[in-house]
Amino acid sequence: MTSAGDTLVETVLRDELARADRALSSVAPVLGHILANSGDALVSDAIVARVRGMLIDLARQFVARLPVEGFEGEAQAADPIDTLAQRFAQDAPMLASLHSAAIEGILAERLEQRAGLDPVLSPLWQELIASSDPMTAETAMQALAAQSRFMQSQRRMQHPVSDLSPETLERALRIWARGTPAEKEADATAAIRGFKADYDEAASRTGLIARLMARMGAGAIAALELEHAGLALFTSALAQLSDQSRERAVLACFDRQSARLALGLRAAGLDAQGVERQFVTLGPTERLPRGLEALSAHSARAMLQSSRLAASEVALR
Amino acid sequence: MERQTSLLASRGVTDDSDVLLSADDPLADLQERCGGTVPGMLAVPELLELVREGRRLGLKIAREFTAYDGEAMVSGFVRIHPRDPDSGEGCELLIENWQTRGIQEPSSRETAARLDAIDRACAEVTARLNEDQRIQLINARAADAEQLEDRVAKAPGSVWTDHVTLRGMGLQQPIHWRLLDGVQCRVPGSARGWRARLLPIGPSGSDPRGFELLLVADHPLPDVPNESGDQDPAPSHAQLIEGSLTPVLRQPIARIIANAETIRARLAGPLMAEYSEYAGNIASAGQHLNGLLDDLADLEVVEAPDFSTEREAVDLGDAARRAGGILGVRARAKNIELVTPIAEARHIATGEYRRVLQILINLIGNAIAYSPENSVVTIKALPGERKGNVSLIICDEGPGIEPGEAERIFNKFERLGREGDGGSGLGLYISSRLAEAMDGMLDIANPGEEGAQFRLTLPLYSGS
Repeated sequence: MTSAGDTLVETVLRDELARADRALSSVAPVLGHILANSGDALVSDAIVARVRGMLIDLARQFVARLPVEGFEGEAQAADPIDTLAQRFAQDAPMLASLHSAAIEGILAERLEQRAGLDPVLSPLWQELIASSDPMTAETAMQALAAQSRFMQSQRRMQHPVSDLSPETLERALRIWARGTPAEKEADATAAIRGFKADYDEAASRTGLIARLMARMGAGAIAALELEHAGLALFTSALAQLSDQSRERAVLACFDRQSARLALGLRAAGLDAQGVERQFVTLGPTERLPRGLEALSAHSARAMLQSSRLAASEVALR
Repeated sequence: MERQTSLLASRGVTDDSDVLLSADDPLADLQERCGGTVPGMLAVPELLELVREGRRLGLKIAREFTAYDGEAMVSGFVRIHPRDPDSGEGCELLIENWQTRGIQEPSSRETAARLDAIDRACAEVTARLNEDQRIQLINARAADAEQLEDRVAKAPGSVWTDHVTLRGMGLQQPIHWRLLDGVQCRVPGSARGWRARLLPIGPSGSDPRGFELLLVADHPLPDVPNESGDQDPAPSHAQLIEGSLTPVLRQPIARIIANAETIRARLAGPLMAEYSEYAGNIASAGQHLNGLLDDLADLEVVEAPDFSTEREAVDLGDAARRAGGILGVRARAKNIELVTPIAEARHIATGEYRRVLQILINLIGNAIAYSPENSVVTIKALPGERKGNVSLIICDEGPGIEPGEAERIFNKFERLGREGDGGSGLGLYISSRLAEAMDGMLDIANPGEEGAQFRLTLPLYSGS
């Protein structure tokens, strides 16, 4: 778009104008969504605040190892943490991942208020900790500690790097490395190596819960009883048994996603009464579609996988 | 649904191109069941994807995986630790919580529906029949079914069985469609075997309004290359065997063996002992055929004009012990003792280890086959009769070889009057050709005496 005759000031202003246009054009849909869903919406003040808090917390952890200098072609904030957080906020997969964490935190709190579900220690978790198999008991204990840290950091709107998924961590590392000063390339490489060496998905909260689920084997279906299992185990089991990502499974439990939830539970092998019980516990406003029992687990899975979000998820990988 | 859980973790190591370098038992087993080897390319697709992901990200990942090992679904929780780039970019795999789960048998109705769908997709001739099995419409996609299409076109409204030859069916139309569904048949102008499927159309299976006729060939037509001027010369019989015959025969024979084994093991249900025995006979006959195909393939290799062997140092004693180890089970079954050269006596020949081993397995296998029970087969390594040679002699206690036979025994297809023992008459011929290719020879050390002595002579290894 830049014609040869442009002066520097023209180029800068043109870019600035384009950015301003983009900002304005996104106002209407976002505002519309918030206004239309006055209660608990997928995007609400609380969620925006949490995601912003988590972005800044993540940026803080990276900058603590090596500050960023700024990103090419972008306005630089005064503070390197803000600069990096702003850059993170432009990355859709990172946002999706943190959004899901925020939703999980909010949902867990809501279930505690509405249904008296302990956001950390559920009856199933207690059973697993008391398991006669020492490996299961130990994994359950580690996972429980991680869950309790998660709830705590959610209240503080924080997110430890060690709890990111490997894909998200890799994106974050790449974005961060691009912002570090060129003359400190050796330091950046060393820092990346340090982050990578410290990270182990098996020790992250979701990794530990997945390990726990794997140990439960076919018994994992017991975790599809929300009141018994608690939200964290429930969503992991739902993800695993219905072949969805855990982030997707968390979103399915939120308002206005009841079709996804019903299909997911059906795909995971729950019968119609079982699905209805989970709906009652979650208390979404929508009703369960009639005749759900006629839908086979296989077709439920196929419908889920053909949803546009699932397709875009694959494309992102 | 059977379910086994193993608490043992299994460890494996891959390199920077995802070759599985080493693996503990359960993982090595899964790798082999998925068609791989250790060491060899990681053959479990689900694990390969995860290992690649781990390498790409350079991060330790931990996921549940599920794989099909040919019989059952295997699942486990795998932790993939990419190694430090400085020490080679491989990964370490730690798999815990192995679980094996039998495949849930689909209901018979689902299975039938799936089989119908497969046949619909594979059929190369499809037709629509009316309720009397008269052809209303035919559609042939295969080149070798054109003649059938022409014949049908010339006789509109005829019954479909007029145009094909039903196998094992002495009945005349009208035949109830259920008897014809799945029948084997021949199609005019086609060399392939065909299977007919009759799928009823209409609300109820008992009184169909018409039928969907599917003719499914037993194997696809080979892709015929465009007929151009520079055609390949007619294949020699050797190329015919390896290039055309072997691939075509392998699969049906493998299927015969597999099915016969299924019957023999009574996997599909109880069966009278006699039938199980017959199935065992079918399976062993199939295995002989398979062995024959191997021999024919080897024959082609040794008869190829450009056939040559490696020149490497081969410790004959070591090769003999290895061959003895491979055939140990067979020897023990007849209570035959295998005496192999001791490790200290080293007789190093020039040749290709693999080929020497092949010859020895053939010779020792013959010795076991023609020895009486409770006898001894001795393998001796010694300097050759002439200077610069070394020999291995395989002595058995069976009937000896007559001087006249000693000449002929290495000829192609020579059976010396023995029939029905499963041999092809090719083993010794191939072995002697292999020995010659390594500048050595194969002969009988003691023609006319009791107890055959086969002698393999090879040049002494002269390198350092």
